[in-house]
Amino acid sequence: MNIRYQQIQGRSLGFYALVAGLGVFILAALGSVYYMEHNGHFVTGMNNRIVWGLPHVFALFLIIAASGALNVASIASVFQKKLYKPLSRLSGLVALALLAGGLMVLVLDLGRPDRLIVAMTEYNFKSIFAWNIILYNGFFVIVAVYLWMMFERRMNKFSRKAGIAAFIWRLILTTGTGSIFGLLVARHAYDAMIMAPKFIAMSFSFGLAFFILILMASYKWSERPLGDVVLNRLRNLLGVFVAAVLYFVIVFHIGNIYLAENKNVAMLLFNTNSIYTNLFWYGQILLGSLVPLLLIYHPVFKGNRSVLGLASLLVLIGGIVQMYVLIIGGQAYPLEMFPGKEILEGYGELVIYQASLPEMLLGVGGVAVALIAVVFLIKFLPFLPESLADKVADPHHKA
Amino acid sequence: MNRLLIILLALSYTSVFAYSGEGHINLGDKASELEDEGKSRDIHPSLSEIRKMHPEFLLHKRDKTLRQGVRTKRDSLKACVNCHSTSKDGEYIPVNAPDQFCSTCHQKVGVSLDCFSCHRTTPQEDL
Amino acid sequence: MSKKLNRRDFIKSTTASTAGVATIASGISLTTFAVNDNPVTKEKRWGMLVDINQLSESDIDNMVNACQEENGWGNETHSTGHQKPSWIKKIKVKDRATGKIDSLPMMCQHCEQPPCVDVCPTNASMRREDGVVLVDKHLCIGCRYCMMACPYDARSFVHENLSNQKEHMPRGKGTVESCTLCVHRVDKGGVPACAEAVSGEGVIFGDLYDADSKINQTLKKIQSTQIRADLNLNTGVRYSGI
Ligand code: SF4
Ligand code: SF4
Repeated sequence: MNIRYQQIQGRSLGFYALVAGLGVFILAALGSVYYMEHNGHFVTGMNNRIVWGLPHVFALFLIIAASGALNVASIASVFQKKLYKPLSRLSGLVALALLAGGLMVLVLDLGRPDRLIVAMTEYNFKSIFAWNIILYNGFFVIVAVYLWMMFERRMNKFSRKAGIAAFIWRLILTTGTGSIFGLLVARHAYDAMIMAPKFIAMSFSFGLAFFILILMASYKWSERPLGDVVLNRLRNLLGVFVAAVLYFVIVFHIGNIYLAENKNVAMLLFNTNSIYTNLFWYGQILLGSLVPLLLIYHPVFKGNRSVLGLASLLVLIGGIVQMYVLIIGGQAYPLEMFPGKEILEGYGELVIYQASLPEMLLGVGGVAVALIAVVFLIKFLPFLPESLADKVADPHHKA
Repeated sequence: MNRLLIILLALSYTSVFAYSGEGHINLGDKASELEDEGKSRDIHPSLSEIRKMHPEFLLHKRDKTLRQGVRTKRDSLKACVNCHSTSKDGEYIPVNAPDQFCSTCHQKVGVSLDCFSCHRTTPQEDL
Repeated sequence: MSKKLNRRDFIKSTTASTAGVATIASGISLTTFAVNDNPVTKEKRWGMLVDINQLSESDIDNMVNACQEENGWGNETHSTGHQKPSWIKKIKVKDRATGKIDSLPMMCQHCEQPPCVDVCPTNASMRREDGVVLVDKHLCIGCRYCMMACPYDARSFVHENLSNQKEHMPRGKGTVESCTLCVHRVDKGGVPACAEAVSGEGVIFGDLYDADSKINQTLKKIQSTQIRADLNLNTGVRYSGI
């Protein structure tokens, strides 16, 4: 079986419209950054209680999705599943692009983005954040090498080894990202080691959803054949991942409810007046988990591509909501500073965060950067197989 | 590439020395006084040294003060600002404002300075 | 962990050549200073004991005002609500079981095991040998991870451009700040502004390790506590009467 890869033409009106559209979002994001950095963060909705706002929601969402997007390649190389092999290149590309978008948002929301060089030269090796910087840089290098080995025929024989290395690295990376929260002793909403596996499950699901959408869009718009065999596999996989995230969320919260000190978290779940509670139940659980599961597994929708696209989109939206509840909701409730005492004055109220327009534009801009990177690279390098029709993807498939 | 770098370095060095010999166009109130009294060499024995090395002096001093609590006056940014600020109409002009002591050279060589995003730009005591 | 100054060794040669002059010149300029040119050491640990039974609410307000006055925070014009910096604040708590109401000042507790320092990616958050926890604003990139990590809500992020800072207290947009234990006073033999603002014994500042110091002796005698002692951070600020 020989897969032929080919650049997309990228000369159609639609292509340029897509690039222009994404470009507008990117420009808007850069404008917002200038505005925020010039004035200072007072123009945002963030403050000393909600120190990480919408930009972090998007940034961390993109970063964990990035490591998950690599899974398709990992399944091919590490677990030797032939069907996924032709998708490996795209998988690596999506992973790099999402990471680039996420990091851009993360960096541009710093108080002093002009000092990025300090972050690259001064390391505190006790800081999980510093480790993450190393992990992100390493991820770029390893995935780039992995891609190169897949592209370069002479190097093909090493690609499995590189794939395994990339797979291990991405597991560490997601664990690292999860630990940013998991190791905060002071914050009950986060302080739990289950954060790491939960983040890994989330990365599987968000990354795959991104991958499915990009795959379907690029094949549709470049008018290349994409068979049901591939899509049905991905659909099932997505279902499993979404269910896994749901499982971890349930375990995590049950664990928390039974810890008396975590009544803040219980409040997060059951205080129906709070926006975070509503976002959790309606956004994360219903829209982001249950509805997609229904769309994926209900026999009526079997083989329906639009429904699969919708399910992936919902997973992504649910993912952003989930990060929102986690990051913002986790900060909105006061720290438990005086156990056994009620704080009357000076501290302790529930903080309502209102994202400002520049923050939103910056976050969305990160997604646009990731997408535009994919669009350009599949135009200039042969990432996509010419055909993923059933008989190419799976020669043993009987129609 | 290397050649470019050399040219660039050469350029920036010539600009550092561009002032050697003649006085600084905007020395600041106290520094001018000291110069008139002929005392400025007590503080900066070598003009070219302070011109070239002041970033290193300041950097060294900042870590000693902040991290080790060494609060001597030598090389302290406060002392620079105190001497090198100019007043006009009974008020000090920020030392990093256009054409003031710090900015004359920094503008010229195109090097931005980050001290005053946090540090006070005028002497603290009123005129 | 703590930054080694000697990595800038190359400077030594140049400063050595000017050292002779420094002493000549200092005759002129250093007379008004009680100079401390020895690095701080582990021999000391600065700390503070707050006896809330001896503090009235207005005492605490005075402490807050003194801090603002000394360090120049609180006049920000654009920041609103929780965006305003707050190095020290008055908190009023009520015991759920007994109903007892207490007011207390809360600021950076100068932890011996400071979570803010552990998480800071660039070593900007740091702890001096003598126990004072500071932000090195030269290195702070404004990531705010330290604010996430601090169990005491002690840190503030500067949300806007500032000018006219106090000479001894550089502060700037995009970096994080918190109580410095008035280290600029302490290094010259003084006490923090908040402690000075309270007459009487409500706030005792001193060297926790020095067996002769008032704070050390008082701590030996009376019942005192650390806030969130369960976190084992060994705070430098202690409370009694809660
Ligand atoms: S109280 Fe907060 S800011 Fe102060 S040392 Fe402890 S963790 Fe750091
Ligand atoms: S905001 Fe500054 S001090 Fe705080 S963790 Fe980030 S770099 Fe360190």
